[in-house]
Amino acid sequence: MRRTMLYLPGNNPNMLMRGYLFRPDGLILDLEDSVTASEKDAARILVREVLANREFGECEVTVRINGVDTELWRDDISSVVPAGAAGIRVPKVDTPRTVLDIDEELSEVESRSGIPQGSTKIFCLLESALGVWNAYDIATSSKRVAAIIPGGEDLAADLRANRSADGVELEWVRRMMIVAARAAGVDALDTVYPRITDDDGLRREAEFTKKLGFDGKSVIHPGQIQIIHEVYTPTEREVESAKRIVAAAREAASRGRGAVTVDGRMVDLPVVRRAEFTLTRAGIAFGEPEETPDGERRG
Amino acid sequence: MSMNGSETGGRLLGTARAGTIESMDCLVTISGSNGGRRIEISGAGAARFKEAMELKINEVLDRLSAPDVKVSVQDNGALDIVLGARVEAAVARYLGGGRS
Amino acid sequence: MALNAVHRNIPESIDGYGDTSGRLFEGAFARQPEGRKHGAKLRSVLPGGQQKQLKGIKEAIAASGLKSGMTISFHHHLRNGDYVVNMVLDACAEMGIRDLTLFPTALFGVHKALITHIGSGVISRILGSVNGPIGVLVSEGGMVAPVVLRSHGGRPRAVMAGDVRIDVAFIAAPTADSGGNISGRFGKSACGSIGYAFTDAEYADCVVAITDNLQPYPISNVSIPGIFIDFIVQIDSIGDPAGIVSGTTRVTRDPLRLMIAKYASRLIESSPYFSDGFGFQTGAGGIPLAVTAHIKEGMKRRGIKASFGLGGITGYFVDLLKEGFVEKLLDVQSFDLDAVKSIASDARHIEISADWYANPWNLGSAVNALDAVILGATEVDRDFNVNVNTEADGALLHGIGGHQDTAAGASLTIIAQPLLRGRIPCVVDRVHTVTTPGEVVDALVTEFGVTINPRRQDLIDAFKEARYGDTVPFVPMDELVVRAKRMSGPMSPIRTTDRIVGVVEWRDGTVIDVIRQIERRLQS
Repeated sequence: MRRTMLYLPGNNPNMLMRGYLFRPDGLILDLEDSVTASEKDAARILVREVLANREFGECEVTVRINGVDTELWRDDISSVVPAGAAGIRVPKVDTPRTVLDIDEELSEVESRSGIPQGSTKIFCLLESALGVWNAYDIATSSKRVAAIIPGGEDLAADLRANRSADGVELEWVRRMMIVAARAAGVDALDTVYPRITDDDGLRREAEFTKKLGFDGKSVIHPGQIQIIHEVYTPTEREVESAKRIVAAAREAASRGRGAVTVDGRMVDLPVVRRAEFTLTRAGIAFGEPEETPDGERRG
Repeated sequence: MSMNGSETGGRLLGTARAGTIESMDCLVTISGSNGGRRIEISGAGAARFKEAMELKINEVLDRLSAPDVKVSVQDNGALDIVLGARVEAAVARYLGGGRS
Repeated sequence: MALNAVHRNIPESIDGYGDTSGRLFEGAFARQPEGRKHGAKLRSVLPGGQQKQLKGIKEAIAASGLKSGMTISFHHHLRNGDYVVNMVLDACAEMGIRDLTLFPTALFGVHKALITHIGSGVISRILGSVNGPIGVLVSEGGMVAPVVLRSHGGRPRAVMAGDVRIDVAFIAAPTADSGGNISGRFGKSACGSIGYAFTDAEYADCVVAITDNLQPYPISNVSIPGIFIDFIVQIDSIGDPAGIVSGTTRVTRDPLRLMIAKYASRLIESSPYFSDGFGFQTGAGGIPLAVTAHIKEGMKRRGIKASFGLGGITGYFVDLLKEGFVEKLLDVQSFDLDAVKSIASDARHIEISADWYANPWNLGSAVNALDAVILGATEVDRDFNVNVNTEADGALLHGIGGHQDTAAGASLTIIAQPLLRGRIPCVVDRVHTVTTPGEVVDALVTEFGVTINPRRQDLIDAFKEARYGDTVPFVPMDELVVRAKRMSGPMSPIRTTDRIVGVVEWRDGTVIDVIRQIERRLQS
């Protein structure tokens, strides 16, 4: 699940070490915008050490590196990947070329440090009109790509629009992002909501993007996590329906049948998958079918 | 951070810094030492973590094969991993990251 | 040496304190009162008799009969804005009075000026909390007699039981009249409740009120009536308003502390006590204030109201009163301007004495009616013993306040505190100083979740019943201790000498712990 991925400033030990306590689904240790030019070296070392400590609860831990237009990104990767970053968030991805460069560098670092080839994921930030236009090609350019994420401020500027409260300037981009992500089979993650004290605005935006089909949202303040999780938590009705679908599918599978009907509706594989996903989001385990313990069975 | 030293006769002069005095961080200052390694610790951790901090600082200096230096730490509650990262950054800057 | 009930080694006799045999802590409710109260000297004023008003502090000191070796008391309602304590001690020094025992309800940073008088022998003993530079001085062995720490309820108990006899009480009074009626509600130095001064007024052999707002007799809204007041002195200013009340008390903005507050509130909401008419105390710290806000939301959801809020009162509690979430406020100390205004104008906002608030030896103090209280700590140990007095380096820097009393009185006592302050863990194997025993502490809430004292299986069950799941994690104490150790790394022991510089009394007057002299404190 990637409902929430929390940005943590890369030179701030307090946030880096405690961010996971707010229980987002993922963390983004940031070496890019939140770190001033003169502190890039110190932040890289700090992030490496914090990564190596592996104290992140259940969070998926990624690092936003500096852009390929800087001289920093290769050193960023060679520091944080061996230290245990599960993924790299790459800013300003405009074309598949960027992804291929990153992919190549990752492969080299992985083989150098004995990390299984291809295990480090790439999260692409599409921060220009060109990047958005190329979304599908970018998302399919490497098996490492896990998600595409539209930019916020930079993208709006590139579109020659201003960011507004209702986000109308990004509306088409967001719809486009969903189509590209689904076509490519990667996650679509939304940009941050910058007004950190406007809880109602955040809830509205999260509800809207969830409706569009987004898998989650980037987060810049711990206080935003709970609200987004609430938005993404399935309703009781959704959960009940999903439970019936999953149970029926299991029942059918145990009798060697493929398709079943639930509530008068044909249930095929995609529907079962979505139901399982609903239960995951609701925090309900469905992996293990319920069984009576052996002892009881023996009587 | 400051790096106002120059190399004279194979020995580095001047000082370099890394870190901050924010909560859970520390400010590490590295400067030249005339003889042997010297460590000075002040601030929040000094009362109960002096030994642990010295151990960590020595471990990082050894790992980096740092020359004899004076290390001053102004602590505001840094855990070991933060202290280690700040010492490493300060040493790297001291040894001529060449940035100022 | 003998072990008390929290396994602390207490010498049979402590220099400057006395014999401890028969006065070792044996359990939170083990010691019960015997005998009669120890009262003040009988005095009278004849009809048309003497004028109470005197020209200045020195005249009042002379009239009170204060001599070297006596005990004088003060209240701390003017907090860090107080001028009175320093003025009185300066005057004593100039008058050649020495060897005084200081018996304040608390001291603040502004009282660091007393260090001169400690050094010169004007003050030889402090019965009360010390902090800041005086705390450091005491911790490093700078006083001959140990300080004696008592809780807000333990102090009036000690007075009534005769453990401490007050020769002269000096009471800073924001408003007074010529008959000696005094009030904290009005005047340029208004501080709201003056509840900590009540017992002193009633039990001291002589009572001097010092005011900067003398009104014609009689004033209304009297806090302490003139029947207890011997003399009145009018001066230009008894305190600096900026230091007396903070403009506004603020909820913490630190997301980590806000999360702790949310966890604590959820724990209260899961308990059987969270029902219509419950009573609670949260205090003025950043986390407790945030808990107050969460509890309000909880009350809304549940459709219930609280019958009272207790203790130090803030604007947040006043808002709850105005909005109808709380029916009464019992105020022993008004923390901010909103609280001062409220107590002066709203009959549901009631001024209470420290005796009424917290004394274990009366017929039912307000803490006994508490359903829940949120408290802080510098350390908590595996047995849920709490230290609020000494810092990580062993320095005595904080008083007990109402910690012992509210913990003992409340049905649900929660310590809410981040697991680490910087690198220093707040959960340890054994606290350096026991202020409050684990037998009256029910739960600890940290950023890692809720930890419930195993002796409260009922609370554990109720918490699990609430099914918060991942949103409010449950963490056993053992796991918390291991985690704290792993994060902070090995700590060097606190180096102390054998000399005792502080005695911590449990609220019933028994010795729960002693504080030993530390080596010179590092500046941090």
